[in-house]
Amino acid sequence: MPNPCRLMVNGEIWEGLVDPFETLLEVLRERLDLTGAKQGCSQGECGACTVLVDGNPVMACLMLALEAQNTQIETIESLATQELHPLQIAFVEKGAVQCGFCTPGMVLSAKALIDKNPHFQEQDVRAALAGNHCRCTGYTKIIDAVMSLSTGAKHG
Amino acid sequence: MTHWDALSHVCGKTPYLDDLPFPANGLHVVPFDSPVAHGHVRALDIGAALAVPGVVAILTARDIPGENQIGGIIPDEPLLADHTVEFRGQPLALVVAESNAAATKAAGLIQAEIEALPVCTDPREAAARGDIIGRVRTFEMGDVSAGFASAKHVFSGRAEVGGQEHLYLETQATMAFPTMHDGVRIISSTQGPTAVQRTTARVLGLPMHAIEVEVTRLGGGFGGKEDQATPWAVMVALVAHRFKRPAKLVLDRLRDLRMTGKRHPYQADYQIGLDADLNIVAYQATFFQNAGAHADLSPAVLERTLFHCTNAYRVPNVKAVAMSCKTHVPPNTAFRGFGGPQGMFVMESALCHAAESLGIPTWQLQKKNLLRDGDVFAYGQTVSESQAQTCWDRLESDFQLAKRWQQVEQHNQTSNRYKRGLAVMPICFGISFTKTHMNQGSALLHVYTDGSVLVSTGAVEMGQGVVSKLRAVAASALGVPAERVKIEYTNTTRNANTSPSAASATADLNGKALDLACQRLIDRFRVLLVQDHGGKPQDYHFHEGKVTGPNGFEMTFDALALHAHFQRVSLSEQAFYSPHGLHFDLEKEKGHPFAYHVYGAALVETTLDSMLGTYSLDRVSVVHDLGRSLVPIVDQGQLEGGLVQGLGWMTCEEVAYDESGRLRSHALSTYKVPDLYAAPKEIELICLESNHSYAIRGSKAVGEPPLMYGIGGYFALRHAIRAQQKGPLAFHAPMTPERALLALHTPVREPAPQSVTNAP
Repeated sequence: MPNPCRLMVNGEIWEGLVDPFETLLEVLRERLDLTGAKQGCSQGECGACTVLVDGNPVMACLMLALEAQNTQIETIESLATQELHPLQIAFVEKGAVQCGFCTPGMVLSAKALIDKNPHFQEQDVRAALAGNHCRCTGYTKIIDAVMSLSTGAKHG
Repeated sequence: MTHWDALSHVCGKTPYLDDLPFPANGLHVVPFDSPVAHGHVRALDIGAALAVPGVVAILTARDIPGENQIGGIIPDEPLLADHTVEFRGQPLALVVAESNAAATKAAGLIQAEIEALPVCTDPREAAARGDIIGRVRTFEMGDVSAGFASAKHVFSGRAEVGGQEHLYLETQATMAFPTMHDGVRIISSTQGPTAVQRTTARVLGLPMHAIEVEVTRLGGGFGGKEDQATPWAVMVALVAHRFKRPAKLVLDRLRDLRMTGKRHPYQADYQIGLDADLNIVAYQATFFQNAGAHADLSPAVLERTLFHCTNAYRVPNVKAVAMSCKTHVPPNTAFRGFGGPQGMFVMESALCHAAESLGIPTWQLQKKNLLRDGDVFAYGQTVSESQAQTCWDRLESDFQLAKRWQQVEQHNQTSNRYKRGLAVMPICFGISFTKTHMNQGSALLHVYTDGSVLVSTGAVEMGQGVVSKLRAVAASALGVPAERVKIEYTNTTRNANTSPSAASATADLNGKALDLACQRLIDRFRVLLVQDHGGKPQDYHFHEGKVTGPNGFEMTFDALALHAHFQRVSLSEQAFYSPHGLHFDLEKEKGHPFAYHVYGAALVETTLDSMLGTYSLDRVSVVHDLGRSLVPIVDQGQLEGGLVQGLGWMTCEEVAYDESGRLRSHALSTYKVPDLYAAPKEIELICLESNHSYAIRGSKAVGEPPLMYGIGGYFALRHAIRAQQKGPLAFHAPMTPERALLALHTPVREPAPQSVTNAP
């Protein structure tokens, strides 16, 4: 039985009817046409569907759309509406991107870290991104890219 | 220069297959797969499934208009199983519905009545029964019997290496659209668009020109989409063609894992002989490849195991026998390295066995036996431009091998709980498709009247950066800024009869064709310029978006393009490239199959918690022969990514089937790929600059070779274990923490390696 659902996504309100079992990922991808979050495993294991909910990284495949009401949802599409976010520039310049399928989730997990703690260290990056799998890069350049934005690090 | 697509990726704007618009009237397809690994299909009850609202049809083998056959090398694999199933996960029927949810629900309601037959998952058992796919292959050089007779030390034993799930983050995905004149247009996440086209034509009973295949890009492939992207594409084509409606299929992760093949597990017997100076005098090995239920690419993978069975070492007397063993698991398939890594693992096991028995570091044996120019591989090709020694020397000098070895040994004498391990992994990897005819590339070049450049080749972009390399080639050859060059999606109507993007050779083959196309166009422009402005053709130079010539002549490339068009000079060019000099005689098992070899060496260090079996990969130092890299950031990314994938294969990634042929490593919760914690803490690279004319602009192939550095991870862990456990220890990869713990604390039940020292 579909329920009315009201979501705040990238600063805009979306209203529609959703089934109780519909995930936030399905609604974002299929109703709002926001395909930056990817479906990699549907089990909360790969991190490709990561979005920010009230500033925290969340696997959108594990959150029901109805649960996400009354929160602020940010997807990768919100990041470069005007100009590129420094993380996006760092990922490009450091070569932290190969096939790109994990990239939106990686960037958002990293953004959550940076927003909360600009003085982060390398171990913080590993902890923040541990839930995001990348099968291409071997992670080295991803760490380099994120570390290059730390205000408390010598790295980069 | 960076990855051309990177900007789009970081903005989430890159459209992967499941992101592409799909029409509302489109049909969704979900395959129903066998719940039994081996058996006779007695009945398929589809009544309940058909009753699900939204279900349009359920198709079986009887609905195939052409040939129910998708086998590429050997025609032994149906698209949809009919009377017999041979692995759990084998497609039996296609549920076609108005929504993916309806199709998925209906697939869960199909009941298959299957009379179970005996299941075999062990390659040695299959071999003993004579269940071999293709023929047994033997590579032989010199006289192994005489070699072993002359040896001072002979060591023999068994080695076993596991499979590996590709885990491309984008699962298998495809869609198809009916087109005019009874055709079908397919968009597929495939490394091999021509294979999709050829197989679809066969199954639908249509000529190849009726089938168009487009590949936008892949969210990872690693070989898993070379042949095994094909069945899904054929399925949607079948549905689109039959119902004259668009059709789409995206495998969910669990289906993808249980229905697709993986890297081949191997078992092997080896025997190695050394003389008094520790030179390898003979090597003999028998490889039992677990091919799975159908041939797929197994015979070709098997061949590469033999090509690389002596890795980077000089071995005068070799006999290597290999066979593809038919088992009841999904057909195993291409995976970065393509059988080469398994061959190398067995050689490294033999060397490690010898070194452990002789009480010397393995790296001393490795160093002693590195390939030199003039040596001959078992397949008859002579070694030339070997970088094996150069790479090794740099590893020793720049990364202080001997000193680090000593530090590790000293640490282990004083530390009870934490044991450190170190291993070196040299590699020598042949570049070319080993099927000689596949070494061909093509490029279509259009310059438009505004001077912008469009390039189409047979190359598929899957994250490996080939479009960035092609763009660099075209920009450099035409003397225009890279921003003026666009690399178009891969499409069988623009580039026909292409080889898959595989074998590390994509940039070489397609890049060389592109270089040729650009050169021909420049030549044509020069003829026009000479006609108009005099001088000699070679007086005109193309650089920075301009043409300069005699007497201060200067014109923009853009203006020249428009001018040439008005002069009725073609602005398009098509070129074909195939490297000359490659050949291989399958009767004699000799020839010159590789355009060149890529060399390197890696030093891997690890720390093992001997109480828990857990470990960390502390530092990996690599010296690698890149040639003159076209796009260094892309090549470094391939090195790091390949290395970590190889380390995963050797450490935490364990594909497990039970005796009933059921995949127990069925999800990401039960199959561990390296995450940020499992990846090495530090990777350092030294890139050597060598040259080779077969490499595109001197930039050597880089896709597969780095994976094999990961083998060093197993041997570093073994070294750490050996600091505590000196008893029998089987050569069995991956060395998961569980296996490490068992090795440290329980007696080994597997047959112990044997050694013999010949009487002097």
